[in-house]
Amino acid sequence: MSQMPRLLRRTLLRAAACAALCCAATAWALDPPAGKVVLTVAGEMQHRNSPDGAAFDMAMLQKLPQRSFMTKTPWYAEPRKFTGVALRDLLDAIGAAPKAMRAVALNDYRVEIPVDDALKGDLLVAYALDDKPMLVRDKGPIVLMFPFDSRPELRNAVNYSRAAWQLKTLELR
Amino acid sequence: MSDDAPHDLVPRSPRDRRQQAVPEPRARRFWLSIIGVALALALLGAAYVQWRQYQLLDGTRHFQNDALGWSFFQLEAEQLRLRNEMQQAASDPTGDTLQKLQLRYDIFVSRLGLVDHERAARIMAAQSSYAPTMAQVRAFVKSGDRYFAENPQAKLTPEAMRSLLAELDTLSVPLHDLSLSASHLLYERVTQRNAAVRTQSKQGIALTFFQCVLLLVFAFTVLRQFRALLQRRERLEVLADRLSAARAEAESASRAKSVFLANMSHEIRTPFHGLLGMMSLLQETPLTTQQAGYLHTAKDSANHLLAILNDILDISKLESGNLHVVPEPVDLARLVREVDALMRVQAQSKGLSLNVTMDADVPRWVRADPTRLKQILFNLLSNAVKFTAVGHVHVRVEAGTGTAAGCVVFSVIDTGIGMDEATQVRVFQRFVQGDDTTSRRHGGAGLGLEISRSLARLMGGDITVKSVPNEGSTFVLALPLLKIGPPSAGSAVPPTGGDGPGRMLKVLVAEDHPVNRIYLEAVLDKLGHQAVFAENGEEAVRAAQEQDFDIVLMDLHMPVMDGFAAARAIRALPLPRGAMPIVALTADAFQDSQEQARQSGMDEMITKPAHLPQLRDLLVRYGGAAASLATPPAAAPADSHADIVDRATVEQFHATLSPQKYTALLGSFFESQSAMLARLRESADAADRSAVWNQAHALKGAALSLGLRAVVEQAEALKQAASGPERHSLHSALDTLERHLLITRDLCQSLGWLPAAASPGRTVS
Repeated sequence: MSQMPRLLRRTLLRAAACAALCCAATAWALDPPAGKVVLTVAGEMQHRNSPDGAAFDMAMLQKLPQRSFMTKTPWYAEPRKFTGVALRDLLDAIGAAPKAMRAVALNDYRVEIPVDDALKGDLLVAYALDDKPMLVRDKGPIVLMFPFDSRPELRNAVNYSRAAWQLKTLELR
Repeated sequence: MSDDAPHDLVPRSPRDRRQQAVPEPRARRFWLSIIGVALALALLGAAYVQWRQYQLLDGTRHFQNDALGWSFFQLEAEQLRLRNEMQQAASDPTGDTLQKLQLRYDIFVSRLGLVDHERAARIMAAQSSYAPTMAQVRAFVKSGDRYFAENPQAKLTPEAMRSLLAELDTLSVPLHDLSLSASHLLYERVTQRNAAVRTQSKQGIALTFFQCVLLLVFAFTVLRQFRALLQRRERLEVLADRLSAARAEAESASRAKSVFLANMSHEIRTPFHGLLGMMSLLQETPLTTQQAGYLHTAKDSANHLLAILNDILDISKLESGNLHVVPEPVDLARLVREVDALMRVQAQSKGLSLNVTMDADVPRWVRADPTRLKQILFNLLSNAVKFTAVGHVHVRVEAGTGTAAGCVVFSVIDTGIGMDEATQVRVFQRFVQGDDTTSRRHGGAGLGLEISRSLARLMGGDITVKSVPNEGSTFVLALPLLKIGPPSAGSAVPPTGGDGPGRMLKVLVAEDHPVNRIYLEAVLDKLGHQAVFAENGEEAVRAAQEQDFDIVLMDLHMPVMDGFAAARAIRALPLPRGAMPIVALTADAFQDSQEQARQSGMDEMITKPAHLPQLRDLLVRYGGAAASLATPPAAAPADSHADIVDRATVEQFHATLSPQKYTALLGSFFESQSAMLARLRESADAADRSAVWNQAHALKGAALSLGLRAVVEQAEALKQAASGPERHSLHSALDTLERHLLITRDLCQSLGWLPAAASPGRTVS
């Protein structure tokens, strides 16, 4: 029983040392945004481009691995195509492994999302709807979206509430 | 078995009748399938209800219809925030506030899409204010878009702002109303849905209950059927037990019957031989023609009866599996000639011609059981003669061809009454003859053909019959007989007997009783054979080792080594001595001792007293010369002491040997009597039962030869007592024996067979 905490402590120490090294070498590894900031990720991470965390303009997001899917949603009559960055890729890009996160929208809508659930549900940080950038009046510019059609088990009120649109900030915990 | 036997085996108790009343299997199957179908339908119904519930909930979930109220409320809130932002911008129209206003406006517009669409319109259809309010909001957006769209058409002046603000204000009340009514409407929908779910749940419960009931009924039916099956099986088992018990009973009864038959036939046969002997003697006395006729008929009947007895014995042996075929080298041509010679007389006496032909390719020497083969041929031939009134009987012996290849085929063809096909099928069955009328006309027990066929099958062959009524029958005996070369000269194989020149035989006689030894010596001498004597089995084996004998006559009960052991020891000798014929001599012709003798390797068995004709016949069969018999004496005096002495035996003794010889034998018998009695008493005092038994047996054998019937009986009684447990009965039997010995001696003296007062008699206590 006493081995567990010791093992855990050693792992943590090693991770901390590693993080310190990485920080020394690659602090500010993320380029600063050139255009208008569309998404800010705040919280613990290895690669930042601002004291708060990582600020992304559209071009930065588009440089990350791109994914897309079609799905029906409660908000559109027809199935729509969503294109964006998988949450996993986004977190990898900034070197973050949070337990939970909070999505904050332009209209101050807030929702807590356990990161495990989000990763398991292949949560997409979408920046295009039907291959076009989204205006604020079209619920843009950034929308969190689950592939509801291909994953029926995701279809529930909790996940619909986590699919936040007009996303402004992701606060990592 | 009577006709109602099956009812005895399956008693119909009231309970059984009730079992009969339960639904027949077909009805039960029908009900089971009905229940099964109902169960399946109920399951389908329950599944449908569940599916409906799932659809209902899933639809709600997918379209988030319940969120409509929230969306209206959000729109209302955004309207208020926009209004607030617009008021601020109006009072302080800087770039920052204008930018914030733009964002607010965009957010407001984005909210509109959530409430202004077809599905929402459908849901809100009952709400009359929905359409005008939406139109009003759309009009406002149209006005706003002139300034806030991506590409504004006009610049937002303070006047325009005020006008927009005024327009926005007019939206407040309708949007609030709509928000409230949407909430209420949704409550109603939720209530309705809950009600629907409740109803469906009730239906589901009802269906489930129904299923439970059906399942219970199903289980009950299955259980009942299972129990019925179990009961039926139990009944069948009981029935099977009863049947097997009945079978065992029947089988044991049949076995007992066979044993009884065999014993009875045997018991009857022994006195019968006496009867036949007496008739032979009677025939030699001066008789009137009428008397001779009567005697002839009596003898025929007796011979016929004897044949039937032999048949019954054979049947009982066949049934108990005790009949064995003993193959040996046989001269087939000679055997057929013998049969021909014997049957020719019968055929000719009926005026029939008997032809016997034998093909050249039939092997002369074969391995076969000559006695049994002759038995079959005699049977077939005598049947042919019996059932043929005119014409001929033809015997053809040929080598088999086709399916009978390797067989010797004997065909017996007659021109007799023939048989129809039904009779041909039945004719091999026991007690069956052509039909009842022929049975009455021709006599016979109807056992011959069954025995013949059983014997043929025992030899690996078969008998078949072809017949046409009134034209004749053909019985075909096919036997797979192994062809062999002629046996070398001087071998110990007994010839099949008959017409060859007889010769003097060297006979080894193993006999412990001196009187019997003397008797047998006299008889063999008379027959012209040479006898060598052994007093027990051991001596006999030694003699057989040292010299060649043509035949051994072996007493079964002897001291030192009995006849069975001696026969086995002789059989174990190297050939050809180990193969010399051994004939058992015994006073008791029980079937088991016969069987035991056979198993010990003895060839046959003759019962004591071994009379001269019997011995002559026996020795002729083993190649001895047939000596002619002396003429029997004149008619015997009336037998006044039949219970004490057997006059027939004595007469035969007198006739075949001489009265002097008999007197000498009788004298030595009574001379040895006191010593023997003393030995018997000694053994009885020592309670040595087996010694008493052996001595009594030897005494019985001697007395039998001499015809001393009372002594025989008392010796037998003593043997019985010796095999019982009581010492008292042993002594009393001994006393009785002694008394009878004295009586017999006195009688012999008074009859003049024994010189008077040979020895002082002992007083009976």
